[in-house]
Amino acid sequence: MTDYGVGIGWRPEIAGFVAELPGLRFVEVVAESVHDHGPVPQGLADLRAKGVAVVPHGVKLSLGGAEPVDPARVTHLASVAERLEAPLVSEHIAFVRAGGVEAGHLLPLPRSREAVDALVANVARTQAELPVPIALEPIAAIFDWPDDELTEAQFLTEILDRTEALLLLDIANVYANARNRGTEPLALLDALPLERIAYCHVAGGAEAGGIYHDTHTHAVPEPVLDLVAALCERRRPPALLLERDGSYPAADTLRAELDAIAAASGYPVVT
Amino acid sequence: MTGDLAARQAALVATLTSGAPVPPGFDPRLVGVARDALLRKRAGDVARAWPMLAAAQGDRWRTVFLAWAAHRPTNGSLRDGWDLARSLAPLTGTAAAELAAREAAWRYDGRSAPVPRGRLSGWARRRRFDPLWESGRLWTRLRSKG
Repeated sequence: MTDYGVGIGWRPEIAGFVAELPGLRFVEVVAESVHDHGPVPQGLADLRAKGVAVVPHGVKLSLGGAEPVDPARVTHLASVAERLEAPLVSEHIAFVRAGGVEAGHLLPLPRSREAVDALVANVARTQAELPVPIALEPIAAIFDWPDDELTEAQFLTEILDRTEALLLLDIANVYANARNRGTEPLALLDALPLERIAYCHVAGGAEAGGIYHDTHTHAVPEPVLDLVAALCERRRPPALLLERDGSYPAADTLRAELDAIAAASGYPVVT
Repeated sequence: MTGDLAARQAALVATLTSGAPVPPGFDPRLVGVARDALLRKRAGDVARAWPMLAAAQGDRWRTVFLAWAAHRPTNGSLRDGWDLARSLAPLTGTAAAELAAREAAWRYDGRSAPVPRGRLSGWARRRRFDPLWESGRLWTRLRSKG
């Protein structure tokens, strides 16, 4: 992927703020929020007209589901990618439904060979329809399955090798998982194929009940920015994107968060 | 443990959405934390789709929603809020108006996706109208006329 530098997740609530960022070169939009017919949201159309890249980010494909991915959802993602002239799309290493019941959120997979096989098959079904590459994002997991056979790095590397997909590394998820599992986040960075990163997510969270929650509604904590810097020292990803999904702060606060990501990564400020 | 990922995923979803027992081997405390986080997220999503319904409950919104949703898997925010609004009837004030506007515009049987009523429906089929997508806009329009 091109070096896009610092971007932000486009949401209708902050469309005005995003539209006025002078240096912005890429945004992400929740794929399911964009129609595959009718007009593209005006804010996104305006960004496209200015040459800003728009990456559709799927949240409901359920690539890690044991059941085959829903062909209608794949078709939708592919057509949204085409309509937005996206350089790539992204989705999660997770499942969101099973047995016809929606979980309502991204759920972790067991780190087992059976789960890798299921996910690889679904990614292949999706890639067959997509006009562009897909990047896969490991999630923040509040709990783990009891019978993991692979370490997180082995699990992710095997998935990336077998699918030839790119990696969307969420630094806040790396932080959250390490903090909640009591593991070392830098050890994971050192074990991952960093050259496969298409872009990174950066987001805020908060602790509740002894668990760090990746909320996307709180400020980006300092340790997450430190991890961004540590990653960039090892290998700087082509782009880093701030995700904010609610409790939107004042524009100055959002600008400061974007500037902090720029400072930690060495990319130019976009504000 | 081997095999049957589908059944194990379904069991976990049932735990998180319907109050089924925690599957063997999982940390019950952490699964409980995930379940609560999921319900809070749903409460926020439904409050965005049904702003007047949520506002009418004030500080009790989360409690009211969680009590209702704890054993009901989501059917999407539009239908979840609709089912909850009907269960809380009779509503008053803007929450009642919000429900009435939607009942007037859509036929919803409580079991499958709402369909637009009357003259709207032909137009909706031509546009491949999506109720969840459009309902917010429609509501605003109906309100401003009223």
